[in-house]
Amino acid sequence: MKSLHVLLLITLVSLIILFSTPHLGVLKHSSPDIASHILMQIRIPRVLLAFIVGAGLALCGLVFQSMFHNPLATPFTLGVASGASLGAALSVFFGLSFTFLGLDSTSLLAFIGALATISFVYGISRFGSGFSPEILLLTGVAVSFFFSSLILLTQYLSDMADSFQILRWLMGNLSIVGYHEVWHLLPIISLVIGLVFFFRRDLNLLTAGDEIALSRGVSVKRLRYVLFFSTSICIGAIVALCGPIGFVGMMVPHICRLLIGQDHCWLIPASCVFGGGFLIVCDSVARLALAPAEIPVGVITTLLGGPFFLWLLIRSRTHIS
Amino acid sequence: MIQTHYLNVDIAQKRRLDDINLQLSPHDYLCIIGPNGAGKSTLLKTLMGIVPVNGGSILIADQPHEQLSQKQLARHLSYVAQSHQQHLDFTVADFIKMGRYPHHGVFSCWEAADQAAFDNALYLTDTETFLTRQIPTLSGGECQRVMIAAALCQQAPFLLLDEPTSFLDPRHQVEVHHLIQNLNQQHQIGIIEVTHDINHALQHSQHLLALKAGKVFWTGRSEDFLVSSALSSLYDQEFVLAKHPETGRDIALPSERVPLR
Repeated sequence: MKSLHVLLLITLVSLIILFSTPHLGVLKHSSPDIASHILMQIRIPRVLLAFIVGAGLALCGLVFQSMFHNPLATPFTLGVASGASLGAALSVFFGLSFTFLGLDSTSLLAFIGALATISFVYGISRFGSGFSPEILLLTGVAVSFFFSSLILLTQYLSDMADSFQILRWLMGNLSIVGYHEVWHLLPIISLVIGLVFFFRRDLNLLTAGDEIALSRGVSVKRLRYVLFFSTSICIGAIVALCGPIGFVGMMVPHICRLLIGQDHCWLIPASCVFGGGFLIVCDSVARLALAPAEIPVGVITTLLGGPFFLWLLIRSRTHIS
Repeated sequence: MIQTHYLNVDIAQKRRLDDINLQLSPHDYLCIIGPNGAGKSTLLKTLMGIVPVNGGSILIADQPHEQLSQKQLARHLSYVAQSHQQHLDFTVADFIKMGRYPHHGVFSCWEAADQAAFDNALYLTDTETFLTRQIPTLSGGECQRVMIAAALCQQAPFLLLDEPTSFLDPRHQVEVHHLIQNLNQQHQIGIIEVTHDINHALQHSQHLLALKAGKVFWTGRSEDFLVSSALSSLYDQEFVLAKHPETGRDIALPSERVPLR
């Protein structure tokens, strides 16, 4: 039961991170009332949000990598992030301000942008040979570039304040007040985690290739549809509320594979817990490194992710040769 | 029982299987032969639900193929693919155990019946000794036995094999031929095997299906095939017959003369 021990260890470390980080950073306030208010209304919800967002990002990354047999496939590579960003940028540009179901206009437009992009990428890839991983990835990358230039155009046409607001959104953000966002994301992310765990055996077979999966009895097409759309909705919701926080979804599943092996029965919970803990650490670094100023969390994850990406490339090169 | 009735399959708008009629009783051993591109692998993949049907019908145990879920299908048929599978990043034990998938629901656990099927698959293929190894570290012959073990773990009454010995040296070819023979005769598993080894097909299988350009070219009992002299026109290649010094059976060897055109 080596895998079980590794999972327990990862869980333990993540829980220690979860419970200790809200107390980090000085709370030098004369009144204990203010200190406890900061802890309860700012620190704890922020750490909780970081945990579930990290878990969701890591899980969706894991599903995409397993589903498309490609270590670089994440919902972000498929253009979800750029679609959401364009939605958010447009909402800032047009100065929309309304709320619907407790969500502000930026989040709503970002969510719509994410879903529209996923449907678009999916629709395009259907024209070719059907749901092939290569076409899907290439379409996603092309759409990402296209939307990135539209975002730049929007920024160019905006005034200084709007342009800065868009830029700030693009860097990802976990600083919240109160539990509002946590309650919005928790049901979606838990549902998707449950659904993916439900398909753990199917995912194991899918990593062995479509032919083997089919001959063992996995309905590969149906499985891809279900997982593709459920993880995309999950990612869309996360990006809409927190902005695009890159690289967590790519890095964490790889590290977990090295730690715990290929079996999704262990890999799914391990990725969720590790991703949660990892994002809390990144967010704490972002909060404390230049305190009292805050670095956007997306900057920290991407700073870590870039070198990791290169290491992965070099490693897979040496593996092949 | 597997039956196909005027089965048509198109891949990329090109007809790959044309009006295939096939009937296979339980415990039968059918070899499919024919030149490259004749549709042999396509036929296996169509039966296994990997390639969709465009016309005609397939009956598996008297049930229409299209009404069976992929999981139900995997309880009737198991399949060993042609391609090299040595890149798979699993241990041998984990990979073989995944063959129990069609017998599991979402919440079911590994039970005594699963363990029995697993142990039996290991015993039949003689793979117990490398259970803990990673698949990429196996030799070609070992890997093929693991692939067959994983398919046997499904406990399906029919086993489909796509050129199971094409990449193996003579010793391991004989080993795998014996294994298939043993599965068919001692364990009553129906076999459909695609092969380019005509002599192996003639010697071991009960029935032959010769495909050419997507059509049935010849079908019948294996021992009648050489008599019918269909071999040369099947491959567009002259063959000479000789007696095997040990068994005294006819064996076919490609003639040294240039192919007919």
